[in-house]
Amino acid sequence: MIADRPASGRDDGCGTRDTAPSHQWGEGQRPPSTSLRNRLTSHPASSWRGLWGALLLLPFLAAFPARPDEAFVTSQPAEMLSIVDLDTRKVVATLSIPGKPAGIAVSPDGRRAFVTSPDGRALTILDAAARTVTARVDVGGGPVGVAVLPSGEVAYVADWYGARVVAVEAASGRILGTVETGLSPSGLAVTPDGALLLSADRDSDAVSVIDTASLKRVGEIKVGSRPFGVTIDAAGARAYTANVASNDVSVIDIATRQLIATVTVGERPYAVALAQGRAFVTNQYAGTLSVFDLDTLEPIGTVAVGEYPEGIAASSDGAFVYVANWETNTLSVVDARTLKLVDDIVVADGPRAFGAFIRAPSR
Amino acid sequence: MKMKLLAAAGAAVALAVVTLSGADAHGPTRQKVSEKIEINAAPEKVWAVVSNFQDGSWIPVVDKTEGTGGNAPGAKRTLTLKGGATVDEEVAKLDPEKMTLMYRIDKVDVKVLPVTNYSSWLVVSPLDGGKKSEVEWRGAFYRGYPNNDPPPELNDEAAIKAVSGLYKAGLDGLKKKIEGGS
Repeated sequence: MIADRPASGRDDGCGTRDTAPSHQWGEGQRPPSTSLRNRLTSHPASSWRGLWGALLLLPFLAAFPARPDEAFVTSQPAEMLSIVDLDTRKVVATLSIPGKPAGIAVSPDGRRAFVTSPDGRALTILDAAARTVTARVDVGGGPVGVAVLPSGEVAYVADWYGARVVAVEAASGRILGTVETGLSPSGLAVTPDGALLLSADRDSDAVSVIDTASLKRVGEIKVGSRPFGVTIDAAGARAYTANVASNDVSVIDIATRQLIATVTVGERPYAVALAQGRAFVTNQYAGTLSVFDLDTLEPIGTVAVGEYPEGIAASSDGAFVYVANWETNTLSVVDARTLKLVDDIVVADGPRAFGAFIRAPSR
Repeated sequence: MKMKLLAAAGAAVALAVVTLSGADAHGPTRQKVSEKIEINAAPEKVWAVVSNFQDGSWIPVVDKTEGTGGNAPGAKRTLTLKGGATVDEEVAKLDPEKMTLMYRIDKVDVKVLPVTNYSSWLVVSPLDGGKKSEVEWRGAFYRGYPNNDPPPELNDEAAIKAVSGLYKAGLDGLKKKIEGGS
């Protein structure tokens, strides 16, 4: 009864954003047109060219309002990807993905999404805006976690059975190379500068540090028992692993490659998301989130969500965290400040969403 | 029922010797099973039986229930099955308001039930304005074989078949016990 079996991926892992990024035009979605109007009225005689330029731009501005965050939720038994508009909290698209999809990573620019299918031994690459599959890559073994470079150019896939990570070129689906890890690599995360890839090697109780430029394993950090999800903060300073068998979270200093703290959480933690200067940890067996402060590492509280909460990620402004409840078939919406469960969105059977599943508006 | 399951598994083992190559085998993925039954009794009456963790006699394959901790989270029981095999189980959650019991299997031989990391829910809901009840039995588990290329008797299909069979027979037994008034 140690640790959920191989699981076909679930964790969250990768680059969940820490606090609110600076762009603020989600609110009224008006700034561009307002400033345009100001320009037109305050400089009536400025130049025809300017006016024409502005007029030409108008339809584009109207056609492309700020996009809301979207959740890309893998549903394993349903073999489905549900795309959820997080403003309206409605499922706006579904895609069939064979092979029991589990791991997910959306590129930071929102262009592509990458989905692992452990049973299909494949990585599916999608055009996130068009909602179409652009490539299906046979990576072999048991692909679980997936993470993508900040540039969006390369995706890394953890092969649970093969004890390796496979690097895949996003545009072509070509396999660029592989690197050995510890046993049962599951969650992956890339540092914000793209230099390092961290792999939670579940059955080695360790995190592998991989240099992305050379695709070489350059270090190993021992953590708690059976780490599954790994998440790196926005500054690239610390990483957090959810340790399924020791019911805790390991806090790693990335620069010194040291384990600096261990934080007790609930039963069978799966993955970690960061928002509001807090860590949110899904506890599969408890059906809760454990929340702790990132500075003091002291517990703040717990939040009851659905049964078997697994993938977890924060909204791009850090206001909410979203939780895929595998058993309950919902995506829970939790207010990251008040710690209240504010909504449950029904998604396809068996949501896992193991990875960075939020597609944020492009900057 | 269990006997039949085991016989089927035995046949599968015999086959496996011949066809173990299985290049198409699946990696382990957590499985889900759900079975429901309608019972002609008020939810409170049904919940009284379902929530009594220390009496598993409504599950036809169970011969004997021995346990500790009553009916509360952390309570344990050992079911001795007809034929002698045992299953150790533990209450994870018990919510009388939602009439939901969640429990896990702490220990079972995969030859008895070909699953690992098993947990399940029993949920009682009112039907017909509370005159009748619906009982749902849901399970979450992995197949008995943890690695790629499982033998047929320990693959995903075998796990689902075994648990579905257990739930169907169990719910039938529950209905009989309650409607029969015993």
